[in-house]
Amino acid sequence: MRIRFASRIALGMIAVLVAISISLAGCGNKQGETYSGTVKLSGSTTVLPLALEAANRFMERHSSVTVDVQGGGSSVGITQVKEGVVDIGNSSRELKKDENDGSLVDHKIALDVVVVVVHPDIPVDNLSKEQVKDIFTGKITNWKEVGGPDAAIVVVVRDKASGTREMFDEHALEKKESAKNAIECNSNGLVRETVSSTKNSIGYISLGYLNKSIKAVKYNGVEANLETAKSHTYTLTRYLHMFTKGEPSGAVKGFIDYVLSSEFQNEVVAKEYIPMQSI
Amino acid sequence: MLSISGPSLFIKQAMDYLRSIRKRELHIKVLLMICASVTFVGLLLIFIFVFRESLPAFTRLGLPNLFSTHWNPDVSHPEAGNYGMLPFVVGTLYTTLGGLLVGAPLGIGSAIFIDQIAPPKIGTAIGRGIELIASIPSVVIGWFGLTLLVPMIGRLTDTSGFGILAASLVLGVMVLPTIAALSLESLRALPSELKEAAYGMGATRWQTIYKVLLPAARRGVLVAVILGMGRAIGEAMAVQMVIGNSRQLTFSLTNGTSTLAARIVTDMGESSGVFRSALFAQGLILLILAMLLILTIRLVSREKKETVR
Repeated sequence: MRIRFASRIALGMIAVLVAISISLAGCGNKQGETYSGTVKLSGSTTVLPLALEAANRFMERHSSVTVDVQGGGSSVGITQVKEGVVDIGNSSRELKKDENDGSLVDHKIALDVVVVVVHPDIPVDNLSKEQVKDIFTGKITNWKEVGGPDAAIVVVVRDKASGTREMFDEHALEKKESAKNAIECNSNGLVRETVSSTKNSIGYISLGYLNKSIKAVKYNGVEANLETAKSHTYTLTRYLHMFTKGEPSGAVKGFIDYVLSSEFQNEVVAKEYIPMQSI
Repeated sequence: MLSISGPSLFIKQAMDYLRSIRKRELHIKVLLMICASVTFVGLLLIFIFVFRESLPAFTRLGLPNLFSTHWNPDVSHPEAGNYGMLPFVVGTLYTTLGGLLVGAPLGIGSAIFIDQIAPPKIGTAIGRGIELIASIPSVVIGWFGLTLLVPMIGRLTDTSGFGILAASLVLGVMVLPTIAALSLESLRALPSELKEAAYGMGATRWQTIYKVLLPAARRGVLVAVILGMGRAIGEAMAVQMVIGNSRQLTFSLTNGTSTLAARIVTDMGESSGVFRSALFAQGLILLILAMLLILTIRLVSREKKETVR
């Protein structure tokens, strides 16, 4: 009897779960403009997470559209969109001179601005490009070498797979390896949390994550903000791009419009980058 | 109910009855067998899957690359990176040992206290408390470690606070309930005559516990420690939050490093190609490491048991 009772309860629970999942599945269909066909993307691994998230959300809305996203790197994306293999080429850098034959249309989808931040008690206000490089590669290990107190520097970096790390390694460290003892955090929020709670620490985060709990340091004498980033006087910055061959149309246009929509920009892009609306 | 019309019919009916029972039992047998084999096949499938996914790392990167101390993955050209996992193997063993050093004495101690020393009411209250610790999600314990433990260690040792010490303390809290609950079970399963006999021989309470009860419950306590270790060796979230995830090989308690599981959690999100495969290879090594540790403990304990006898 007891076994039967238990199995009846289990059956009931399964039935409830099924009912809930069915009713939830029904909520996903939102009406809007209808597109159909396939949208193919390839390119930068930095843009990849954004593109994948956009693809999932876009396909949820337009069930007859298939969005196919692949990585490969910026160069691959640019080459493939030119050849017509894909509809959109993702890139985390500008077009090089020999790539720019005028056939590609640039859609900037996000601004990436990285700020060097330190624990609020560190009296250092400015670090030169050379100093930043030496600190993050482990050549300078004490704050007194850059005008701070006599204390060991705690270096905080992002995880290797993050676009912020990629950009920082490329622009600030000139592709040198970062210090072996550096603490690794896999989100902007975690870096902020770690730097704000760890004495003598230094790290870097996206501009959108800057707040009072940490102190931003000038990079080569330039303060990081939207103006200096846009005018390129602040150099730890780059745009993320989606390139199309000629003006997009149909589902491809719909997809790019969705990526640039305030909903996607604020909900997804803003987690890591500066959304295009606020530029 | 049995017919009396003849012995042959009686036998036939009896046989039918027996057969029906056997049939019913067969159903249950098959059902139980399916349950058991699902567990086993599941384990096997996990092993095969992890092995298959990690194969590209072994064939394309090679063992010297995977078993070096240099970890520096390359995201845009995965095959050009360095994927040495030794620092994390050391980190895993170090933190697991640390976690057990913190958790096992506390766990076994509280089990003894609850079973032998505490008045029943207090014992029950403490037991409930320990059960509650078991239900705290690891991310909460990790967060607690990050906001409280790490800054405290940092202040006391004048370092960043991240590292093996913080991870060991966090793991100690996590393995404590497992070890306490299972040790308690094995202590409770001991026949009361053991204790009575010890007291009868004039042993003190401490002597009874130390010389009679604990050795008698050794097997159960050992299983408790093994299961605790299983939890410690694979814990990713809580450890990842407090260990610093540095890629250096270190033996210092207050230096940042990483464990295999923590490394996987840190990097799995956006890795691709051989990088991803190298992470699976770490998972495979972690599996093998856990099995070897369990085997070693079993072997060591068996030897000891024989020498006692």
